[in-house]
Amino acid sequence: MSRYLLRRLVGLIPVLALVLVIVFCLTRFIPGDPAVTLLGPGATAEQIAALRRQMHLDQPQGVQFLSYVWNLLHGDLGVSLKTGRPVLDELASKLPATIELALAALLIALAIGIPAGVAAARRRGGVLDQVLRVAALACVSVPAFLIAFALQGLFGSWLRFLPVAGRLSPYFIFKPITGFAVLDALLHGDVAALSDAIRHLLLPATVLGLFIAANLSRFVRSAMIQQLDEDYVRTARAKGLDERQVVYGHALPNALIPVLSVIAILFGDMLGGAILTETIFSWPGVGRYTLDAIRNRDYPVVQSATLIFAAMFMLVSLAIDVIGQRLDPRLKAPVA
Amino acid sequence: MAGLALPWAQMGIDRSRTLVVAVPTDPGSLDPAHNTAELVGSEIILNLFDTLVAWAAPHFDRLEGRLAQSWTVSDDARSFRFKLRPGIFFHDGEPVDAQAVKVSLERAGRLNPYMRASFEPIAAIETRQPDIVTLRLSRPVPFFLSLLAQPQAAVVSPTAVARLGDRFADAPVGSGAFRFVRKERDVCVVLEANPRYFRGPPRLEHVIYSVNANPSTRRFQLENGDIDVSQQAGQLGALPMQDMDAFRRNPTIQVIEAPSQILRQLEFNNSRASSPTHDLRVRKALSYAVDYDGLVHGLLADSVDRAYGPLPTANWAFDPAIARAAFRYEPERARALLRQAGFEPGALKLDIYTFLGAFWGTVATFLQANFAAVGVKANIRQVEFPSLRGLHLAGQFDVALDGRTPWYNDPDAHITIGYLSSLASTAMTFRMPPDAALDRLILDAQDQTDAALRKELYGRVQQQLMARVPAVYLFTNRVIVFARAEVRGLRIGPAPPLTEYWSVYKRAQQADA
Repeated sequence: MSRYLLRRLVGLIPVLALVLVIVFCLTRFIPGDPAVTLLGPGATAEQIAALRRQMHLDQPQGVQFLSYVWNLLHGDLGVSLKTGRPVLDELASKLPATIELALAALLIALAIGIPAGVAAARRRGGVLDQVLRVAALACVSVPAFLIAFALQGLFGSWLRFLPVAGRLSPYFIFKPITGFAVLDALLHGDVAALSDAIRHLLLPATVLGLFIAANLSRFVRSAMIQQLDEDYVRTARAKGLDERQVVYGHALPNALIPVLSVIAILFGDMLGGAILTETIFSWPGVGRYTLDAIRNRDYPVVQSATLIFAAMFMLVSLAIDVIGQRLDPRLKAPVA
Repeated sequence: MAGLALPWAQMGIDRSRTLVVAVPTDPGSLDPAHNTAELVGSEIILNLFDTLVAWAAPHFDRLEGRLAQSWTVSDDARSFRFKLRPGIFFHDGEPVDAQAVKVSLERAGRLNPYMRASFEPIAAIETRQPDIVTLRLSRPVPFFLSLLAQPQAAVVSPTAVARLGDRFADAPVGSGAFRFVRKERDVCVVLEANPRYFRGPPRLEHVIYSVNANPSTRRFQLENGDIDVSQQAGQLGALPMQDMDAFRRNPTIQVIEAPSQILRQLEFNNSRASSPTHDLRVRKALSYAVDYDGLVHGLLADSVDRAYGPLPTANWAFDPAIARAAFRYEPERARALLRQAGFEPGALKLDIYTFLGAFWGTVATFLQANFAAVGVKANIRQVEFPSLRGLHLAGQFDVALDGRTPWYNDPDAHITIGYLSSLASTAMTFRMPPDAALDRLILDAQDQTDAALRKELYGRVQQQLMARVPAVYLFTNRVIVFARAEVRGLRIGPAPPLTEYWSVYKRAQQADA
């Protein structure tokens, strides 16, 4: 397993290098200039040229690329053109917010998607199956921002039950410990802050999680139908096992193994969705940070954030592959 | 991670004395010497720091002393002598003196890309006495006091600058009504009252700027009372009419409107000889084709005011005769002028370049329909700001729906950068063709030290520009602030449109204030 892990980890390097080259080229192909964006409409050509020199944007692009790669190899992700702060520090301060949101969304997706998939499989062709199918279709096809505005209007404006933006109410001012608001509140036993953090998390996590839940429920349904038709399930029923035990004790664990790899792919979708969700809900994570950086042509931030997203996706995929192999030894690659 | 050893504790903030202000973007630099005149950062600076002089509320038509108790200007507008108020201290306890003013202005002139050209005429800053500063200029600059009222010319604590160096923007130290507490990027900036403020302590204990880029979410937050004020910058790039209608019906929310000097116009590429708009008749025809009343009262639901010429009506040098002589909606006349220019209906095709976003798209679509009605086919091309600027500087456009936000309160901020032909391709100007007579008039108006004569010169500049039709002047944005009903004392300046929160309070505070 350790050799397999090492091989997979080494395999990540060329992929990340390719991502780096593509993103570097793409950022330079986008029309526009960071100095122009930063100085605004009133700036003269002379002011812009001075800022370009200051930010080393007047150097040849090959030199800029080599300089970025050299710094990257030394653990330096560069400095944000907009803020002048190290990108590593800024990403480190925003990553917990994105991970917190992604984990909450994943929890919601699993909590909705798996039971819905199982229920639909057990009542194949029935009314519940049809209702769940339509609901899943709606969650996948309705744009996330519409769902977000609807939930904000319902829970935020009409019922006034949940906050519609941010991670904490503005008058909760604190110094972070881990950067995970919910975890920090727990660590300090601050019930008011914990409640506030969870209430802020609910809407964005639901919006992000619903799309995953909808997809997940369809995959679970298919996998469960396949398992429920297997001989071992028929045998279990023939032996007189309780139906719940048959479904949840035997069929579901087997059905979830192929679903695991789907979760890895959906996680990639979730990272993409985080950009939109974080923007709508003013969630101070890496997604919103990246979008702002793209708008501002903040090249070092766009390059580094994309690398981080790519690395996260690949590491999650790797972790899920490893877990899948643990659960089902048949998935192990044949030893040469 | 930073702050690992620090406890997480609420700071005991009193909500009734805390103003939560929603802003659409994270502020730029909070260091005056690095601020690029963007609205959010500029407003925070105005509340953290003091300038020598400031525009006096509520009309913002005259300057009043802030750090300067009094001042005198030499007849040739080349020497400005300020007497500083006694007993003013920075938030770090250091005194505000002549040396601090000198350090701040020199630093801004050296580091700030906006102030570099503006402060270039400063030949010397004399500080012979701790409470007297004399600025000597190499040439007359009649609007120099306007520049000194800008947030970028705010006075910083030299001790803090020396101590913090490049990190000054992370912990800015001024002498303003509020002190800096903390900033979390993309989340909030927290300020607290300065109890030693020379005009008296502010009535609020805290001002929290809460960053929220989404207008719909800001509306929900305001309706819920999560925020107290939706700051003006959030309304400038959007179409707030629906919000205005909803808020006007909501007794818990007030809509505050103030005039601004922000101009929106359809500008022509006046230097492009190959353009169909090079023909004055075509430019006039397009100006007659626009239904100004429909645009201002219909499409934009009176959230803007009509612009008549190169200066907004809120500018002190605006000539009322321009309003009387301005173009009106006369489609028949537009068609006749187009025919005279050789364009039969459908023959003239134009690309209207403009910025991304619903606001620009909606206005461009309205103009497109107006032009179609007189036989001009217009395509709308919405592009991001850097791309539009690139096209503009390269002169690769015929017409562009564009806007101007002057960063200091003087006609010079509109006229010189916009219309001086020598600056045509240096920034997003009107790309005026070489015109020695007009250039001389503009520079005469810029340098004139007699206020009445200067206004007269700017009147002539406006008339000459109107005759040349360098743009279709459309409207000036009104500065719109949405606030909870209990918020009182908001006063918004017109140019730039910024708010000082020193005078602001919540109605519940009135009894004990």
